[in-house]
Amino acid sequence: MADAAATAGAGGSGTRSGSKQSTNPADNYHLARRRTLQVVVSSLLTEAGFESAEKASVETLTEMLQSYISEIGRSAKSYCEHTARTQPTLSDIVVTLVEMGFNVDTLPAYAKRSQRMVITAPPVTNQPVTPKALTAGQNRPHPPHIPSHFPEFPDPHTYIKTPTYREPVSDYQVLREKAASQRRDVERALTRFMAKTGETQSLFKDDVSTFPLIAARPFTIPYLTALLPSELEMQQMEETDSSEQDEQTDTENLALHISMEDSGAEKENTSVLQQNPSLSGSRNGEENIIDNPYLRPVKKPKIRRKKPDTF
Amino acid sequence: MPLAGVEPARMNRKKGDKGFESPRPYKLTHQVVCINNINFQRKSVVGFVELTIFPTVANLNRIKLNSKQCRIYRVRINDLEAAFIYNDPTLEVCHSESKQRNLNYFSNAYAAAVSAVDPDAGNGELCIKVPSELWKHVDELKVLKIHINFSLDQPKGGLHFVVPSVEGSMAERGAHVFSCGYQNSTRFWFPCVDSYSELCTWKLEFTVDAAMVAVSNGDLVETVYTHDMRKKTFHYMLTIPTAASNISLAIGPFEILVDPYMHEVTHFCLPQLLPLLKHTTSYLHEVFEFYEEILTCRYPYSCFKTVFIDEAYVEVAAYASMSIFSTNLLHSAMIIDETPLTRRCLAQSLAQQFFGCFISRMSWSDEWVLKGISGYIYGLWMKKTFGVNEYRHWIKEELDKIVAYELKTGGVLLHPIFGGGKEKDNPASHLHFSIKHPHTLSWEYYTMFQCKAHLVMRLIENRISMEFMLQVFNKLLSLASTASSQKFQSHMWSQMLVSTSGFLKSISNVSGKDIQPLIKQWVDQSGVVKFYGSFAFNRKRNVLELEIKQDYTSPGTQKYVGPLKVTVQELDGSFNHTLQIEENSLKHDIPCHSKSRRNKKKKIPLMNGEEVDMDLSAMDADSPLLWIRIDPDMSVLRKVEFEQADFMWQYQLRYERDVVAQQESILALEKFPTPASRLALTDILEQEQCFYRVRMSACFCLAKIANSMVSTWTGPPAMKSLFTRMFCCKSCPNIVKTNNFMSFQSYFLQKTMPVAMALLRDVHNLCPKEVLTFILDLIKYNDNRKNKFSDNYYRAEMIDALANSVTPAVSVNNEVRTLDNLNPDVRLILEEITRFLNMEKLLPSYRHTITVSCLRAIRVLQKNGHVPSDPALFKSYAEYGHFVDIRIAALEAVVDYTKVDRSYEELQWLLNMIQNDPVPYVRHKILNMLTKNPPFTKNMESPLCNEALVDQLWKLMNSGTSHDWRLRCGAVDLYFTLFGLSRPSCLPLPELGLVLNLKEKKAVLNPTIIPESVAGNQEAANNPSSHPQLVGFQNLFSSSQDEEEIDMDTVHDSQAFISHHLNMLERPSTPGLSKYRPASSRSALIPQHSAGCDSTPTTKPQWSLELARKGTGKEQAPLEMSMHPVASTPLSVFTKESTASKHSDHHHHHHHEHKKKKKKHKHKHKHKHKHDSKEKDKEPFTFSSPASGRSIRSPSLSD
Repeated sequence: MADAAATAGAGGSGTRSGSKQSTNPADNYHLARRRTLQVVVSSLLTEAGFESAEKASVETLTEMLQSYISEIGRSAKSYCEHTARTQPTLSDIVVTLVEMGFNVDTLPAYAKRSQRMVITAPPVTNQPVTPKALTAGQNRPHPPHIPSHFPEFPDPHTYIKTPTYREPVSDYQVLREKAASQRRDVERALTRFMAKTGETQSLFKDDVSTFPLIAARPFTIPYLTALLPSELEMQQMEETDSSEQDEQTDTENLALHISMEDSGAEKENTSVLQQNPSLSGSRNGEENIIDNPYLRPVKKPKIRRKKPDTF
Repeated sequence: MPLAGVEPARMNRKKGDKGFESPRPYKLTHQVVCINNINFQRKSVVGFVELTIFPTVANLNRIKLNSKQCRIYRVRINDLEAAFIYNDPTLEVCHSESKQRNLNYFSNAYAAAVSAVDPDAGNGELCIKVPSELWKHVDELKVLKIHINFSLDQPKGGLHFVVPSVEGSMAERGAHVFSCGYQNSTRFWFPCVDSYSELCTWKLEFTVDAAMVAVSNGDLVETVYTHDMRKKTFHYMLTIPTAASNISLAIGPFEILVDPYMHEVTHFCLPQLLPLLKHTTSYLHEVFEFYEEILTCRYPYSCFKTVFIDEAYVEVAAYASMSIFSTNLLHSAMIIDETPLTRRCLAQSLAQQFFGCFISRMSWSDEWVLKGISGYIYGLWMKKTFGVNEYRHWIKEELDKIVAYELKTGGVLLHPIFGGGKEKDNPASHLHFSIKHPHTLSWEYYTMFQCKAHLVMRLIENRISMEFMLQVFNKLLSLASTASSQKFQSHMWSQMLVSTSGFLKSISNVSGKDIQPLIKQWVDQSGVVKFYGSFAFNRKRNVLELEIKQDYTSPGTQKYVGPLKVTVQELDGSFNHTLQIEENSLKHDIPCHSKSRRNKKKKIPLMNGEEVDMDLSAMDADSPLLWIRIDPDMSVLRKVEFEQADFMWQYQLRYERDVVAQQESILALEKFPTPASRLALTDILEQEQCFYRVRMSACFCLAKIANSMVSTWTGPPAMKSLFTRMFCCKSCPNIVKTNNFMSFQSYFLQKTMPVAMALLRDVHNLCPKEVLTFILDLIKYNDNRKNKFSDNYYRAEMIDALANSVTPAVSVNNEVRTLDNLNPDVRLILEEITRFLNMEKLLPSYRHTITVSCLRAIRVLQKNGHVPSDPALFKSYAEYGHFVDIRIAALEAVVDYTKVDRSYEELQWLLNMIQNDPVPYVRHKILNMLTKNPPFTKNMESPLCNEALVDQLWKLMNSGTSHDWRLRCGAVDLYFTLFGLSRPSCLPLPELGLVLNLKEKKAVLNPTIIPESVAGNQEAANNPSSHPQLVGFQNLFSSSQDEEEIDMDTVHDSQAFISHHLNMLERPSTPGLSKYRPASSRSALIPQHSAGCDSTPTTKPQWSLELARKGTGKEQAPLEMSMHPVASTPLSVFTKESTASKHSDHHHHHHHEHKKKKKKHKHKHKHKHKHDSKEKDKEPFTFSSPASGRSIRSPSLSD
C-alpha cells in the first residue's frame, strides 16, 4: 500500500490526471479496497454491539483504519530499508507495532476471539497497470557509481532538452528553392520596411512606391562601411587571429604605460636609443621583443633637466 | 620658346657625361623642416625651414627657391634679415583681361610660366637677396643658413586635410593630413628646392596632438612630449641624401603595426582598420625579398613605412623610405579581386623606392629611365608572382594601350631633347600641351609615358639579356649607395642621380653591346610601328611568301628597319625566322620545312617541344602551314594586322601555347562567325589548363560570334550548357551550386560568363528570354553561406549582366516613360536592382561594388528609354560623403546624362564640383570623364557650347586650378576636346576680327582666329553676322588699339618689375658677374624674340605684317608677355609681411622707386627687341602647331 502510494507520488502527473476521471481502472481498484475496509469497520461495529451507524462516522472510522494500516506499512518499510533490505520481514512489522504503542502479545488472542466475523475477501481486481509515461528519447543508463537498483533516470526531455523532429525535406531542389525564396522574401520585406519608414528616392516620377529606393545618405567616414567586413564576418576573422592582435596591442599599451610611469629617467631612454641603430636584423630570433621606434616610449620634455640647473 | 628654362638644362646634358652640373649657383647640403603647429580645425600649418647651402660662385647674391601657396613671414640668412620676392606666374597663366581663348596660346604661356619657376633651370618662385653684410662671407664660399618662417592656410594642393565632421576630438574623428601631388610638388607645403636633382640630408620635426602620429621620411629618432604634455614632437633624420620632391608627411591617429617579418618596416592605417592592415601587408616581405634578390642589393633605407590614408591623391605614392597608399587598397582575407591589385600596388611602390626615391633623376628628360627600371623590375616581380602567362598578358595589354594611345594622339616621346628653342624641333608639336615639363603633361600622357618606359626597358633586356640588365641596375645602386654614405662630400651625391647618358653608358660597359639604334628608335623618337601582314603559299617552290607592309605616315607611327621575328608553325614543327625589314622590301620568302600534308597520322611538334594530335581536316590540303605569327615576342612596339585563314586562327587558338597568341586569335576570330570558330572557342572555354584570362575573353568573343550567326545558331544560347555543366547542380541544372570560390580560375570564369551571355541577341535584336531567366535564376539561387570568400564582386557582375541584357525600349511616339508601360522583363530587372541597392544600405558590400553596379545599370535603363532619364539619383550618390567608388560611378552617369540630354544645368553642376569638391581625386576624375565622354566636341554643334562656358573653362585652367598640376592639365585636356587648339568656334569673332590693310584697303580676317575649316571660315566671313563689324571696323580698330595699349602696359609693367629685380640683385661691381649673369639675363630676354617669331604670320610682307601685328595686338601681345618667364601678377604677389623688420621695409621702398624708373627704360628696351625680332621674322619658319600652320595658309578674304 505504502509502496503503491510512493510510486503514485513519483508519477504524480499520472495520478493527478486520473482523479479527474472516475472510470480509470486504478480508481476502481482503490474504491474496491476502500469498500472492503468499510465492511470491516461495519462488522467491527456490529461486533461491538452497535445496531446502526451514521455514514459519516463509518467514513471517519474507515479513514482512521486506513491511516493506521498505511502508517504500519510505511514504518515497516522504513525499518526494512534502514537495515538495507528491500522486503519487510515479520520483525519489521513487530517493531513497527511496538513503536506505535501496540501490545503485540494481545494480537494472537484477539485474532482467535470467538465472536469474530468472517469477511469475504475483496474482489479480485487486477493491480492497475501504471500507465506508461510518454517515452521521449533514450533514458540515460546509470553512471557506474549509482547501483543498478536505483530508479532509472527520467526521460531526457524532462531535464535536458526537448528536441522536436520534423520530416526532413530530402529533395535538394525544393530545399534550394525554399531557401532562395525565403531569403528573397525576407530581404524584400526588410527593404520595403526600411523604405517605408525612411526617406526614399524613386526612378519614376509618377510612382514612388513600386520601386522604392532607400535614399542615399552620405557617411561621415565612408571608408569604414566600405572596407570593413560585416559584423558576422568580422567575428570569424577575429576568431582566427585574435591572439596575435592581443599581443600587439598589449605591447603597445605597455609602451605607453611605461612612458606614463617612467618619471623622466632620461638616461635609460637614451641608452635604449643607442641600442637602436643595431636594429631588428640581429634580433630576429627574439620574436617577442620588437624594437621599433614607433613602439618606444615617448620622452618627457627636456625642461625637467633644466629645472635642477636653475635651482 | 623660353630659353630661360631650357638653356641651362641643355648645358647640363652636354656635360652630363662628366657628371652632374647643378643649375644653381649653390649646393644645398642639409635642410631642416619643422612644423610646430598643425590645426585640423582651421586646416593650417605653421613652421619653418632651414636650408644649409654652400655657394659655388663667389658673387652669389640671390637665392631662388621654390614655394607655392605658403605664406612666408620672414627670411633670415645666417641670422640676418633678408629681403625676398615671391612671384608665381603659374597662379594665373594668362592675364585675366586678355580675351585670348585659343589653347595653343595658353599651352605656350603655361609652359613658359612653368619654366620660369622650374628648379631644374635654377629658377624658383621665391627669390631671396643675400644681405650685403654677407657678401664677403659668400665670396669665400662659406656656408649660408637660410631660415624661412612660413605658414599654410587651407592648402588646396600639396597637403590634403581629411577632417570628418563628427563629434569628438580630431583623433577620435579620424582626422588626418598627408602630402600629395603630381611629380615635384613639395613646394606646395614648404619652401625648398623642389627638384629631383638637388639632394641633401634632412631633419624633419613635426609637433602633433599626443593622440596622433606623424609619419615621415627617414628614421624616427625620438618622440618627445611638449611641456604641457598635450602634444608630442616626432624627430626624423634622413641621412641618405634625398631630393625635396621625395619628402612626404602623413599625420593622423594611425594604428601602428610593426611588420611581423621585418621589424624595421612599420605599417600605419586609420583607426578600426588594423585587422585589414594586418592582412593586406602580410605579403609585403616577399616583395622585399624578391627585389633584394634580383638587384643583389639591400633595401637602401634603414626603415620603411607604409601609410594608408583616405581621399588619396593617387593609389600609390612613393617617397623616400615611405609610401602613401589609398586606404581603399586595404582588404580582408575574404576578398579575392582586390588582393592581386593591392599586391601590385605594394610591389610598384617598392620598386619605386629603389628607382625614383633612392636613385633620383638628373632632369625631366631622364625620367623615363627611372620609370622604366621601376616598371621593369615590377614586371619581373609580376612574372614571378603571377606567372609567365599573367606577365605576357600584361605586357600585351600595356603594348596595346600604348599603341592605341600613340596612334590616337600622335606619339609619346620618352627622352625629349629640346634644341635651341626652334619651333621645328619641338618634339611634341602634335600635342596640345608642352612635354618639356612634367607639370604641363596631360595625366593620360604621363601614364602612357610610364607604360612605354617599362616596355622599352623590356626591349633593352631582349637585346642585352636579363643578366646584364640586372647587373646594370646593381651597378647604379651600388654607385648610389657608396655616394650616399659619403656624408660630408656632397659633390659625390650626384652619383645618386641617373641620367639617360649615364644609364646607356653603363649598359654598354656591362654588356658591351651597342643599343644605340634601339634607343634612337624608341627613346629619342616617338611613335609606334604599324605592320600589315599577309601571305601566300607557293606550292611549287614550297615557299611561304610573306608580305609585310608598314604604315609610317599616319600620326603616331614610325618606320621600322631591322630584324623582325616570324614564327611559322608547320606540320613538322614550329620554326623561327628572322627577317630583315628594310626600306623597300615588302616581300619575304620563307622556305617551308615540311611537304604538304601526309596521310599518316603523326603528332605535331609545337614550339615548346610538346607534341600534339591535331585534327587536320580543316586545313588546306596543299599547304603545310598551320599558323604564322609576326613578332611573337613583342620585341617591337607595334600593332600587327595579319591576315590568315580562319582555320589557321582556330589552330592557333587551340594549339599555340602562348597566351598572347591565343588572345590575338580570339580577337581575329570575331571576324569569322562560323561553327568551327564556335567550336574552337567552346573548347578553349572548357579547357581547364587554359589561362583564365584567355577563357574570359573567349566568352565575349563567343557572344559576338553567336550574335553574328544568330540565324543559323542551333542549340541553347551560347555558353549556357557550358555554364550549367561547370557550375550548376547535377540533379537540378537550373540551380547554381552553392558558391565555392576556392579555385580562382573558375571563379573568374563563373563571374564572366553570365556577363558575356547577357550580350547575346536574338533575331529581333533582343536578349533571349532564356538568357534573362537564366541570369535571374543565378541571382535567385546565389548562396554564399558556405563560402570562404565574399561574393560581392560576383553579385556585382550579375547586375552588370542584367544591365548588359537591356536593349532599347520600343518607344511609341516618344511617350513619357511610366511604370504602366514598363516592359515586363525590365520590371524583373528593376526589381532585382532595387532589392540589391536597398540591401546595400543594410548590409554594405566590400567597396560597395554592388551599389556601383546598380548605379551603372540604372543609367543603362535610363539611356535605353525604359526609365525616365533623370540625374537626380546620381547626383545624390555623387555627394561628398559617399564612398569614392560610388561617387565616381554616379558622376560617370551624370557625365553621360550631360552628354545625352545636353543639359547645361548638369554641366554647370559638374564644373562646380570640379572647382569645389574636397577630394582632389574626384575633381581630377570628373575632368577625366568629361574628356573621355565629352558633352560635345570641337566639330559638333551643341547648345552647350557657348561663350560663357568657354570663359568658365578658360578661367578654370588659367587660374582656377593653379594648386594642382594634374587638375590643370586635366582642364587643358577638356578644353582641347571641346574646342580644339584654336579659338573656340562658338565665340563671336573678336572685335578685332577684321584687320584693315591700309595700303591695300582690304579687310583681312585676323589669321589667328580662322575657324577650323577654310570653307566654314569663308562662310562665316560671308555671314551677315560679321557685317556689323565690317561696317564699324574703324571704331573698333581704334578702341582695340587702346586695349592693346593697356595690355602692353601690363606687360611692360611686369617685365620692368622683373628686370628691375634682376638688376637690383646684381652686383654690377663684381667682376665675376659676367661669367654667370649674362647667360641668365639673356635667357630671360630672349624669349621675346622667339615668341614674336613664333606667333607672327611671316609669309606676309613686312609692312603688312606690321599692321597685322597692330591689328592683332590683342592676340599677340599677351602671348609675348607670357613668353616672358615672369609674366603675371607682379605686385599682388610681392609678399612682404608687415611683421618684417624695418630693415627690410627699407628695401621694400627701395624696390618701388627703382621699379618706376626701370619701367620706362624697359618699355623702350622691349620695343628694340621687337624690331630685332622682325628681322628674324624674315627667316622662313615651319609652323608645327596646327593652328599657326593654318594661319599661314589662310587666305586673306580680299583675295
